[in-house]
Amino acid sequence: MKWIAVGRRPTITAGLIVVAVMITSLVASSVRDGVAVGVALALAIAGGATLTTAGLREAHPVLARATLTVVVLDVALFATYFFSSVTNFNLAIGAAMSITLLGLSFLTGASGQISLGNSAFMGVGALAVAIWANHHSSTPMVATLLLAVACGAFVGLLLGLPATRLRGPYLAGMTLAFAVAFSAIVNSFTSWTGGDAGLQLPTAVTPPGWLSSLFNAQTPLLRVNTMWLADITIIVTGVAFFFMANLFASRIGRAMRLVRDNDVAAELVGVSLSRARVIAFMVSSAYAALGGALWTLINNSVSPPTFSLALSITILSLVVIGGIGTISGALIGGVIYAYSTNVISWFTQHAGINSQGNLASQLPGIVFGGLLILTMLFAPMGIAGAVRRLWARRRD
Amino acid sequence: MDAFLTSRIISDILGGLTNGVIYGLVALSLVLVWRSTGILNFAQGAMPMIATYLGMVVFAHRFGYWPLVAIAIVAGFSVGGVTERVLVRHLYGKPEINPIVVMVGFLIVLEGVAAAIWSTSPRGIPNPFSPIDWQLGGKPIALSPFGVYEIVTALVVMISVAVLFRFTKLGLQLRASALAPEVSRLLGVRVSRMLTLGWVLSTGVGTICTVLVASNFFTGLTPQVMDGIFAFGFIAAAVGGLDSPVGAIVAGVSIGIVLQFVGDFVNSNAIIITALVILILSLMVRPNGLFTKNTARRV
Repeated sequence: MKWIAVGRRPTITAGLIVVAVMITSLVASSVRDGVAVGVALALAIAGGATLTTAGLREAHPVLARATLTVVVLDVALFATYFFSSVTNFNLAIGAAMSITLLGLSFLTGASGQISLGNSAFMGVGALAVAIWANHHSSTPMVATLLLAVACGAFVGLLLGLPATRLRGPYLAGMTLAFAVAFSAIVNSFTSWTGGDAGLQLPTAVTPPGWLSSLFNAQTPLLRVNTMWLADITIIVTGVAFFFMANLFASRIGRAMRLVRDNDVAAELVGVSLSRARVIAFMVSSAYAALGGALWTLINNSVSPPTFSLALSITILSLVVIGGIGTISGALIGGVIYAYSTNVISWFTQHAGINSQGNLASQLPGIVFGGLLILTMLFAPMGIAGAVRRLWARRRD
Repeated sequence: MDAFLTSRIISDILGGLTNGVIYGLVALSLVLVWRSTGILNFAQGAMPMIATYLGMVVFAHRFGYWPLVAIAIVAGFSVGGVTERVLVRHLYGKPEINPIVVMVGFLIVLEGVAAAIWSTSPRGIPNPFSPIDWQLGGKPIALSPFGVYEIVTALVVMISVAVLFRFTKLGLQLRASALAPEVSRLLGVRVSRMLTLGWVLSTGVGTICTVLVASNFFTGLTPQVMDGIFAFGFIAAAVGGLDSPVGAIVAGVSIGIVLQFVGDFVNSNAIIITALVILILSLMVRPNGLFTKNTARRV
């Protein structure tokens, strides 16, 4: 069993590290951030590459995935210590988004269905956390998050029941109708949900004492707080990704890919179509709800109008651009989401577009829509798929 | 009689009818594209929206209402044709989700471009029909000259589409190339041209519908004017069956009337929720729509 990197692996790893450093120098908002992200990413890639060689992956797949998760988590948590509050906040928002993306990626990639309602499922999770916290403020955070996941799964089940008999376009249209109806649903239960104004959390999430004591006394509270929020989000994201990686590889995951490729054949070998579809839909809604719940914790409040059809379309774009049905694609999508606002406003400034004008305010939609179309036409498997194909071509 | 005509029930039916024909038209345009190319066009609201801006806003200072409507419809035909040739053509035979994703992308690009050029504030379109309801014995009936214009136009469009498909050679070719493209090609039908024509017709119908919506004094034209209406139109098409033009229209009108009652007797939030429930229930009972014949899928 060869656990140590052999052949081209070191070269590829080194190349990836160079690329990672270049990307970080572009996206980081200060030199300190850049160095921290660069070191962190380099360590993550190197660690991941050595610890998940083919030998280990074949002998103990779950162990390999767990190792990879722990290494990446470690490095990411270490990096948040050096980040500015802005970077940490963006990181947390992006990480939470990547959970939602992973859910949709699973639904589409594993069972071939498509949902335009994931923003509404995010809203379900976000509101569930806020409503629960307003009534029982002493509940531990993990329990509230699990509650949000359960709510998402339940609503997913309700909507998924007809989905068992639906094929692609009908399901997409039905979930679109759900996304459009979400604001009306929220406004029908104003006493619970606070209507369009939304809800505030009664107590903000604050870091434990030992963490604050790591910083010197002059450190602004905001910085410690955002770092703690980013850390929580990263840990939850790691756990969610670990579960999903195992689900993809499990019996259920295999059954679902068969449903996607040929539903009649799947039925013939004994896969229950309706069960596979409902499970896929429920998992995707539960993940979206978890992402939304984390957003509530990060923002300390929930604003239902955020969870509009436009957000659903953004989610879909990110999944497609990152790579449908791939785990790395969801991560790439999350990073793109975290930095897209910065990059687009940087572009507006340098391209001489009036930042108060109509074009500037519409640019994100136009860019995402355009990328969505181009990706689907020219690289249907997104960035992750394109990289994978290049890799495979180099090996041959 | 007067009391009956001005009663709440009749007002709701008339008001619902005016909305319902709009949903029916959107549903019809969805069905036209679905039948000819097997694609559910999520940009079915946005493409006519662009055509309506091109027709009704760009030349607004030069022409009166009717020439503008004509320009808008021509713009609608062209938008449909160009989209099919440039964008949709690459999607035939691809997995089911590819066209959905591309058309969703096209939807936000079009809405973004329209808002960038013409801003998101609503534009009124002056037209010859009064939006004020007629009076009967001092009480309003829920019907205005504008409402009658909407209903009559919708009926004319629906009947012309039906005549085109049932009684003309072109309609026969359109139906043949949707049903059996290979056989039609052998029999000399220009199938690829028929597919384009399906999109041209569908966007034309959509544009007439959007012109009606935008001409409404209380709505005006905005880049997102068709978003909500698209949702209702899709629900109508799905309930009626994406294969069935008659089903789409019947479902559109019935949903319009039912929702008017819901909005009047419950509240406005309940409208879209009821529509969603209707959609879910009808799909659970008849996944392919109430008006389609069940067909066996072959492996």
